Amino acid sequence: MPSKNKVVAMILAGGKGTRLESLTKKTAKPAVSFAAKYRIIDFPLSNCANSGINVVGVLLQYESTILDSYIGNGEKWGLNGVHCLMSTLAPKQTEEGANWYKGTADAITQNIDFLDNADPEYVVILSGDHIYKTSYTEMIELHEKSGADVTISVIEVDPSEASRFGIMVCDEDDNIINFQEKPKNPISNLASMGVYVFSWKALRNYLKKDAKDEDSDHDFGKNIIPNMLKDKKKLKAYRFKGYWRDVGTLASLHEANMDIALDKGELNLYDHDNSTRIYTEDVYCVPQYVGKKGSVTRSIANQGAIILGNIDSCVVSSGAMIETDAKLTRCVVMEGATIKRGAKVHNAIIAPNSVIDEGSEINLGNDKVVLIDNAKK
Amino acid sequence: MNKVIGICNLHNEPHLGEITKNRPLGSVTFLGRYGIIDFTLSNFSNSGIEKVYVLVRKGITALRRHIGSGAIYTRNTKLGHIELLFNEKGFTNKAFNTDVNNLRQSLDLDEVDFECAVIAPTYMLSSIDYRPIIEAHIASGAQITTVYKHVEDADKEYLRCDKYKFNAAGNVSKVSKNIGRASEADVSLDTFIINKRTLKKLLNEAPKISQFFSLQDVINFFIEENMMDVHGYQFDGFVVPILSLDNYVTHSLDLLNYHVRNRLFIEDWPIYTTTHSTPPALYGKDADVKNSFISNGAVIKGKVHNCIISREVVIEKGAEVKNSIIFTKTVVGRDVKLDHVLSDKGVTIVNIKKLTGTDDDFVVISQGAKI
Repeated sequence: MPSKNKVVAMILAGGKGTRLESLTKKTAKPAVSFAAKYRIIDFPLSNCANSGINVVGVLLQYESTILDSYIGNGEKWGLNGVHCLMSTLAPKQTEEGANWYKGTADAITQNIDFLDNADPEYVVILSGDHIYKTSYTEMIELHEKSGADVTISVIEVDPSEASRFGIMVCDEDDNIINFQEKPKNPISNLASMGVYVFSWKALRNYLKKDAKDEDSDHDFGKNIIPNMLKDKKKLKAYRFKGYWRDVGTLASLHEANMDIALDKGELNLYDHDNSTRIYTEDVYCVPQYVGKKGSVTRSIANQGAIILGNIDSCVVSSGAMIETDAKLTRCVVMEGATIKRGAKVHNAIIAPNSVIDEGSEINLGNDKVVLIDNAKK
Repeated sequence: MNKVIGICNLHNEPHLGEITKNRPLGSVTFLGRYGIIDFTLSNFSNSGIEKVYVLVRKGITALRRHIGSGAIYTRNTKLGHIELLFNEKGFTNKAFNTDVNNLRQSLDLDEVDFECAVIAPTYMLSSIDYRPIIEAHIASGAQITTVYKHVEDADKEYLRCDKYKFNAAGNVSKVSKNIGRASEADVSLDTFIINKRTLKKLLNEAPKISQFFSLQDVINFFIEENMMDVHGYQFDGFVVPILSLDNYVTHSLDLLNYHVRNRLFIEDWPIYTTTHSTPPALYGKDADVKNSFISNGAVIKGKVHNCIISREVVIEKGAEVKNSIIFTKTVVGRDVKLDHVLSDKGVTIVNIKKLTGTDDDFVVISQGAKI
């Protein structure tokens, strides 16, 4: 008998992502495009695939249609093989009635059957809107070895930023002894990444208890983790080293795109290491072409992009057209957008299928990132 | 639509020297992104032909690697499939390794449910819809339809291809080789629509005439002997013939021109190709790219003018690459200058700092070489 799937990953992808403005008007945040070729959710899904996690549930709620069809049977990440299971889990009607997911923990509670069927030892809870490359294997091994009930991935953040995160306080052995949710006066700089490895039995108990608690927000950070701490359960911190970004705002989405265009090397997509590749959908398009008068520097561009103008520090998706004499700096040009002749744009995210008119000048000399979204729906 | 199967015939592919030494022409990279065979397989798919057979003469590994399960070209993967057929007996005796013998050995036509077959080569690149041709074939009542193109540059292109003369009924009356003497000609695109019964007959008769005959030889023999009516269908679309290394290089670079490219790649006619999960192309701060195709995974830090750059190629700082075609995973090192060079896969050029060919004589570098 082939070995059973010890680990199941559950990816939380139901949030609305209001701070991405109209980019998430018709698309859930995890389906927003990133780095010319990818969608944000490609990162956690590829990480799962590369970690040998073959059973993955994606929790959907807000504007789930595009994301659901994008995920499909998981083939894009190789998750359609034998003993693999890729499932999108949206709220459903049951004997008890119909419920939206009330919180991150509730989303898992409502899918206890899915997890019971898979019968894992460990459940990895992930966020669908984080950009990072990793293998979860080391973290799962740490969890297994330490005998913890939950292991939480933490990253060192700048003390001035700490108040934006859930902060973990650890003893010298990286056991978590205290937790502060978005504290005014943080007493540690270890931020939770929203990446958890739970022992399924322990998590199942806490979810059941939480479901009965009427005062609960049914949230991992606010309820499940504090309850486990209170009960003196074993909580372990896993120190993540490397590039990790929450791209929840236009500015952070823009910045993370720039990190790749400017080849800062922190999130290396070019290491030719097949075991850490990020997989995505391949679109049918003509080859990428740079024109006779075009110029491209410090940028990334996907197949199908046509660049006849000048770009510097840009990210250009497939089907995008940059006409002659257009000049773009620090722009994220999403799929199918057209920049007409002579237009000049700086520091912008140009939404899919938008059109920048001939000769227009947008956001020149401005440090603040703007979103341009005028696609005819 | 009538039951149609597609047969992509790799037996009569031209030799392109170094780049077809280890692989069939069908799996040679094209425009940095495609395999040559993608065009025919996509044409089948877009024309609604779901059952496809590929007649392989050599290099099945390279081909299998490119085509994979075939799902990328197939609409419904239960109804459709791409099967690679190769004649194991023929592998030991090259002279007998013909398309006729391959089909006879590898496929029991009685087991396949079809009314007619579209047989097409790889080397006539085109976005061609077979549906109107099949309709015309059925309407004509012919047993075989051959697809041809009227060209005015037969003195330079389509050399050694068959050319046709037709009778008043539109059937081929004479076949000869295009030796480039006249500019105008009706040249064969080596693409045939054949009824099932006729195909079986051709396969049965062929060995009685010559064991070395290809399918096309048999058809031509039947035409010459007045034994069969072969109807002509004139294709007016754009074709890129790849019959020689010179064709390959010149026509690839011609496609850098937007107007030429728009004739090969037409709207609503996608050309499918296998995915490699490579990241977008990365341009460094000193990148200087003009009039070039750049594929995903490429890292460009130097100068690239009038080139085709394939997947995961690295052009280092200070390098200058002009009028060249660079295959997958080749590294052009610091300050290396290339002009009119065709580099096969996985080449590393670091120690020779300058390589210059000409329009008529490209410098060709073998797969995996270190220069």
